[in-house]
Amino acid sequence: MALLLPLDSEYVLNQCTKYLARDNTDPRHNYGQYTGNDPRGTICEAWRFPVVETFRGETPAEADTRFNAVTFVWPSRKDEAPQSVAVVGTFGALYETIPLQKVGDSGHFAVTVQVPKGELHYYRFIVDGQVVNDPVNPQQATLDNGQTWSRFFTHLCTQPLSFEEWEMEILGRLTDHILPFRTEEAQNFFDRFYKDSDKGTKETQYARAYRLDQPVGVVNYIDKLLAKEESHHLIDYKICIRQIDNVLNAWRPGVPRVLRSREVYIDLYNAMANTSQELLGWDYGAYQNPRYFLQLLRRHTYTGAFAHPKYGGNVGAMGWAYLEETARDEFGNSAFDWRRALELPVGRCADYFG
Amino acid sequence: MAESFDAIIIGSGAGGAPIAHTLANAGKRVLVLEKGPVLRPQYQRKNGISDFKRDELYATGTEKRIQVPGMANFNGSYYSSHVEPDLNDEPHVYDKDGTDFATIEGYTAQVVGGGTQLYGGVSLRFTPRDLSLKSFNEGRQIDRDPNGDIKREARDWPYTYDDLEPWYTMAETLVGINGTQENQVKKFSDPNSYQPPLTPNPISTHVEQGMDALGMKRYRTPLAVITRDHAPSGRKVPKDPEEAKTSYVNRYGDPLGLKSSTWVSLLSPIEEKFELRANSVVTHLESDGAKVTKVHYRDGAGNPRVVEGKIVVVACSAIESVRLLKLSGLLDQDFNQRINASGLLGNYFLTHSFGGASAYVANPKRYDKSISLDSDWATDFCGSDDFLNEKKLWAGGAIYNNTSDRALPLSLARTHRSQDLDSFWKGFTDNIELTGEALRDFLLLRLGRGLSVSFMANQVPLKTNRIELHPTVTDKWNRPVAYIRKRWHEHDIYLMDVLAEQCAEILRKGATLEEGHGGVYAGDTALARCANHILGGARFGTDPKDSVLDVWCRAWEFDNLYVTDGAFMPTAGGANPTLTIQANAFRVADELTRRI
Repeated sequence: MALLLPLDSEYVLNQCTKYLARDNTDPRHNYGQYTGNDPRGTICEAWRFPVVETFRGETPAEADTRFNAVTFVWPSRKDEAPQSVAVVGTFGALYETIPLQKVGDSGHFAVTVQVPKGELHYYRFIVDGQVVNDPVNPQQATLDNGQTWSRFFTHLCTQPLSFEEWEMEILGRLTDHILPFRTEEAQNFFDRFYKDSDKGTKETQYARAYRLDQPVGVVNYIDKLLAKEESHHLIDYKICIRQIDNVLNAWRPGVPRVLRSREVYIDLYNAMANTSQELLGWDYGAYQNPRYFLQLLRRHTYTGAFAHPKYGGNVGAMGWAYLEETARDEFGNSAFDWRRALELPVGRCADYFG
Repeated sequence: MAESFDAIIIGSGAGGAPIAHTLANAGKRVLVLEKGPVLRPQYQRKNGISDFKRDELYATGTEKRIQVPGMANFNGSYYSSHVEPDLNDEPHVYDKDGTDFATIEGYTAQVVGGGTQLYGGVSLRFTPRDLSLKSFNEGRQIDRDPNGDIKREARDWPYTYDDLEPWYTMAETLVGINGTQENQVKKFSDPNSYQPPLTPNPISTHVEQGMDALGMKRYRTPLAVITRDHAPSGRKVPKDPEEAKTSYVNRYGDPLGLKSSTWVSLLSPIEEKFELRANSVVTHLESDGAKVTKVHYRDGAGNPRVVEGKIVVVACSAIESVRLLKLSGLLDQDFNQRINASGLLGNYFLTHSFGGASAYVANPKRYDKSISLDSDWATDFCGSDDFLNEKKLWAGGAIYNNTSDRALPLSLARTHRSQDLDSFWKGFTDNIELTGEALRDFLLLRLGRGLSVSFMANQVPLKTNRIELHPTVTDKWNRPVAYIRKRWHEHDIYLMDVLAEQCAEILRKGATLEEGHGGVYAGDTALARCANHILGGARFGTDPKDSVLDVWCRAWEFDNLYVTDGAFMPTAGGANPTLTIQANAFRVADELTRRI
């Protein structure tokens, strides 16, 4: 059985109004992520739904940090509100329907459920007896039975959603070139940092990212970002990774992907940055500006390395720990005590709960 | 029948909250309508979780793209805070050399508490001179004003500093400000109006030394952060008050509620005494003759609602307040004639002449800037009459250092080579050779070494600087958006150069600086040309032909309509405006307790 949390109407409206309430039906929020006249193109930041938030129990315990509070919303104005709304999904027991409650007298329905971190789930709404997908959340996936369901993931999720293994290999190598972690001392630092972490942290925080030799989980961050907040850029990655593979094949025919050298990726990065010369093997009809893709990748890579670990990158806060280790003052003390302000277990602040 | 209240206050920030606080405490029936959500600090939530986070992606989120038809920056990237309006839904449009751009600038924050949730908390008083710039400049020699604009357009405020002083004291006491009084050029009637400051960040020693070397008397920058238990709001500080220092300050709401937003300081402590409707956007006011009779708004789900109030206070930040009044005028000719009887509604829009200098302290110095509030030291040196006379300036400004800037890794990169909120990330992504070791060097040059000093000064009021309704662009409620028309006066440019140089001099005198980095900057080089201090557009005065509001911020031709955000200011003051907006609102509120 799914664990339900008390519904806070004020909280639900706080999450909804800016994004959903409107009269204007221009598709001002479709910048490439939706096809046709998808109604999501008319609402702002549809990816925010369902709302995945920090969980904290009535009697806070350390175990709380293993969960998120997930709020499902069925938005409607008063005069068009349905009689009943329920949600059914893989986070609950099989065929368990969880009723949504009315949000004050607004017309909206909502329910908040406790879901473990690091998970991927599928769900549908049942609205006056009709089974439908979430009309707001853009994330959908086709299940083994051929049906398309709405999808969400919780913090620290590491299941690949946007990329295949070979794409992640290429992306990992490129982000590796951008990040400041290639030096021997950085590598030594990460090895030490990882070895010194306890077993629990290794299992929850590092999981997949480290094993795949992805620097601080940046590829996982990008994988999640493209599944959610910046899905309009998924197409850039899909086309460009294919083009990069073609270029590298044209440069070094017959070399398997995993055996491509670090040097060849450096050459590739520089060649993509150089707009004055055409790249051998790149189809400019498919993607006009390789440099633009690098710029996009730069922002995503850097953000993934240094954003809060809950977004799937900066695994175990290793990006911050590297800065802490490296940025020292004239007396040799670290000048970046990032743990001081942040919640447990990421940081050490006992007064801030994340 | 619509629900009825003694007072309906539109907006819960610096202009609205002091009025709600005062009237509710006086037993009046008060409704506060706020467009944004009510995001509570941890101690006000049952589960202890705040919607304000120490998370850099909350201050500046993931990428979105401008899709507002007709904009020159159509398809351009933007990154907004979770409590800033969405640019596609509610753009501000400004024209730059005849071309329209959508911008996030000119917004404070849409949340209960308004801009006071996100600001750095700098809470300076204006100087006596700031309120009397017309009389001060009579007969003076002023540089770079060939057409005599300043003497023609400067206005004295309809009251003096001494009149406002008790309200400053009240605002400082009730809001909860820390700082020091000694060496300020303003008189204080209560020596205890501030809480004591926290220890400065060690990097500020350089600014201290620079100011001392230049003979600039300095004081601890007044900041709206409590450092001791605050009796008026019932807020408590952590066992170690220094814990309030984090780099998640400017552009962040405070999950602990130590930053003195109007919500935690003035509104939530008396939550049971008034009604708050958050997530409620007012669409227009309706009037019958000289009386505003109805306030129309949409609730959180977009349902239309109507309420009535004996008085109506508009305080949704200068641009949006002017816009709401103009939108109401669009729907009713009589309303329009009354609100704009002087023909000046929207005119004399002001921001600040602003800028400063920034650099990096040279190796091997480095300081942990992540343990800091927004500023440590301030000086009124550039507000003194001697300075103004020497430089032939019409008005002065405050100088203070910034301590929480460039303290975190994402902010370091996204502000690299950017000058405003509209060009985040561009410098970093374009700087394509920053990879590997070069990126490490980039980080190590900057992290903990950024030193900057800013000024905030008066801008010459000009009638042509104005807020209009845009002829074609509409918001998510299909209403015309605000159109910002603003140019710098040549004296502003001169003033900004002079003050930026003073800031640069403080850095040079106070520290050995990294060669080849940093420099001065000023508002006129910023692409968007309108800061987040948005003032004027409905100035107050004693002459109905020369002002939109009377001395009590009442619209001249209405009996019960007041505007109390920064829109009332006839001149912008030489300091961050929030405390003055709060003080003036307390002053107006006191009068309103007698009028209802």
